[in-house]
Amino acid sequence: MEREANGRPTRRSFLITTGAASVVAVSGCLGGEGPGDDEFVITLSQFPDTVDPIDHITGDYFDVFDHVYEPLFDIQPGEAPEPRVVEDWEHADGAVELSLRDDVQFHDGQDLTAEDVAFTLERQIDPEVGPASSQVAGLGSIEGAEAVDDSTVRFEYSGAAALAEYEFGNYARAMSREWTDEQESAESGEIVGNSADVFNGTGPYEVVDFTPDTEIVLEPFDDYWGDEPPFDRLVFNADEESSGRVAALETGESDLTINVLPEDVQTVQNAEDAEVRTVTSFRNIFCPMKNEAEPFDSQAFRQAMNYAVDNEGIIDDVLSGFGEPMSQPVPPGVNGYNPDLDPYPHDPDEAASLVEESGYGGAEIELVAPQGRYLNDADVAQTVADQIDQLENVSCDVDVVDFGVVSDANSAGMDDYEIPFFMIGWGVITGDTDYGVSGFFQEGGGVQTFRDEELDQAIEESKGIDDPEERERQLQDVNEMAREKAPWIFLHLQESIYGVRQDVQWEPREDETIWAWEMSQ
Amino acid sequence: MALGKFLVKRLLQGVFVVWGVVTVMFTLRAVSPGDPANLIVGEAADPHLREQVREQYGLNEPIHVQYADYLQGIAVGDFGYSFQSGRQVEAMVIERVPATLELAVAATIIAILIAVPLGVISASRRNEPADYGATLFSLLGISTPNFWLGLMLILLLAVQIGLFPTGRRPVGLVEALTALVTTGYATGLVTWLKHIILPAITLGTYFTALITRLTRSGMLDELGKPYVDATEAKGLPAALIRYKHVLRNTMIPIVTVLGLQLGTLIGGAVITETVFSWPGLGDRLIQALNARDWPLMQGIIVFIGISFVLINIVVDALYASLDPRVIDE
Repeated sequence: MEREANGRPTRRSFLITTGAASVVAVSGCLGGEGPGDDEFVITLSQFPDTVDPIDHITGDYFDVFDHVYEPLFDIQPGEAPEPRVVEDWEHADGAVELSLRDDVQFHDGQDLTAEDVAFTLERQIDPEVGPASSQVAGLGSIEGAEAVDDSTVRFEYSGAAALAEYEFGNYARAMSREWTDEQESAESGEIVGNSADVFNGTGPYEVVDFTPDTEIVLEPFDDYWGDEPPFDRLVFNADEESSGRVAALETGESDLTINVLPEDVQTVQNAEDAEVRTVTSFRNIFCPMKNEAEPFDSQAFRQAMNYAVDNEGIIDDVLSGFGEPMSQPVPPGVNGYNPDLDPYPHDPDEAASLVEESGYGGAEIELVAPQGRYLNDADVAQTVADQIDQLENVSCDVDVVDFGVVSDANSAGMDDYEIPFFMIGWGVITGDTDYGVSGFFQEGGGVQTFRDEELDQAIEESKGIDDPEERERQLQDVNEMAREKAPWIFLHLQESIYGVRQDVQWEPREDETIWAWEMSQ
Repeated sequence: MALGKFLVKRLLQGVFVVWGVVTVMFTLRAVSPGDPANLIVGEAADPHLREQVREQYGLNEPIHVQYADYLQGIAVGDFGYSFQSGRQVEAMVIERVPATLELAVAATIIAILIAVPLGVISASRRNEPADYGATLFSLLGISTPNFWLGLMLILLLAVQIGLFPTGRRPVGLVEALTALVTTGYATGLVTWLKHIILPAITLGTYFTALITRLTRSGMLDELGKPYVDATEAKGLPAALIRYKHVLRNTMIPIVTVLGLQLGTLIGGAVITETVFSWPGLGDRLIQALNARDWPLMQGIIVFIGISFVLINIVVDALYASLDPRVIDE
């Protein structure tokens, strides 16, 4: 510092020094506060807008709720359920009896009872008991639940034992009956509220701080029956913009972000300490063709549409390589997936001749597709329509609409074919082929888009087969039959892209589940 | 016309405007495609369940009955239930108001702090480099799109330099102040400040540019008036003349614009809030749009409409009390 003759700093040097010091001080205060070693931050794309764990089936919501309301089973994609809170289970006469561990506690201190588990399941499937739950779609064969004694609960089902296992294995979690009764809103039957007290599960983490729409902070539950989870603090927040999620990862505000868009992949790769991890997801994208509308009533025509589309090309060009071509209605890893089937090859000549064979040469069709729902969906649909349009004997337009229009066309069923040809996606979340096919191909299925007696029968038959191996073979036959009958243009499986800090030991899962207890640092 | 009568007239006009907003929103909902029941129960749900939900939410009623029900509800402050979360819309709107207000007020403060001195300097040094600089600044501020500016600020100041966080405010002003009072720790307040600076700059830039121009032109008008010459002749320092006498007279139209613009800021925060994941009304509106959550969407837009109307009435009342001639216009 410059000084005057008497040793005091000059006014100028004083100002420079204090100015610099205050800049340093301010920037110190303002500097990015990265999470500490013991805190792990996960940035989702959608923050749960409900605190009731049975209310929705959105993957982002499960990522949060599973840590608080632990699943009764450990589910690995493509494998049968493994016991977790349930120690053992036994099937008999269209029902299964589950024996629960006796050392499981809710975060409020109550012991878990069979009554709680039965109540939770009833709350999901019976709209009289709980709120209208969309999870009911994945519990199609489960008919009811009751407590046999304190630690034994009985689920009744109408289909095969294995099917029931995939269903309750995927959805069963436990809420305390007493607590839920106290918390439920009288009007909607849902748990509502905006404090940490509106969560009470048996999971390894309990909620310590909850800011609606912004942040939920979890800490390990001291009386948890199982292994201590890996992080002292687990924080979930959300950003709807991919660029925002990636920026949070770059600045160290987040340790893991989901749904990185292909265009942001390079940014993550360039960031210090961060990397991209991908897995082919369960979410497949396809174009149903309702087969009671012309020209889709012809199998040759439907197959022609499959030959006309260049799936590999679309994946390379439109999805920057982040996808896998599909050969059948369900993805690999799902029970009943048929590994012997290949995707339809791109063969415009074959397509053109099949169109002639169908008698629909000169057909004019329109593909209706959503925008912003799936990875680059409108661009994919545009390319699909272009490729069909390039056939000499078919002309195809594309109509990009609000997702609601597509969703309505899908759920309108077979008898409404105002929009017979559209693009949609479906995740086989139960891990069993049944969830991927019965809704679409069976009479009365929730989203029937294809009417074919043979296929319907084959699916129906699979529901009643008790031997798991035999049932798997039957489902493989169903998938083979579906490929042949071409009810959809089979497009691709989306790749799930994650941005993760390099030192995090974790591999993404096909079912897009994120469990902290599968991670380590 | 007395002031009271004038205000009643304005209030009635305001009710009419809000009714218009409600009706336009309701019509848009009626003509837009998509079955809300799908949203509530999921696409693959049992048809009976879907029917039950339609019944529960009154979606089976004829459109005029739904409209009458909706108007009746709004009249008593009941905006219905969100399709997606099942919660009451008014609660979902109200809990987002503080964040938006914080942002709007912070943007206004930043705008005043920057724009007023800049406008004064610009007017005092007319046709000098400082004036050109300020004019260029306001031109850039007015023509820069919000979302681009926000992204650039994140890229530069958050990602590259690491000075600020990228968004996702973890704590609100009220909580931060409560913590400061009860525990004496200012950590929450510092966190809040760090989070609000970039969004407030983003939202306030257009506003800053606008006020700079207003201040400059207002100052130029005033500087040409005889009283300025008189004060100069008395030998008062130039800075005192500008900041004490001239600026005070210039502030009257600026305050009016500030009031009117506050409404614009509340509505215009949509993009800024989305870019910074700021948990305000705009962010919630985008979520509602994406989810086609009509009751929530309507609730937010009607709320913004009501805010506009109220702010306008307050500004009108202020005006009328300042200048009684407007009552007779």
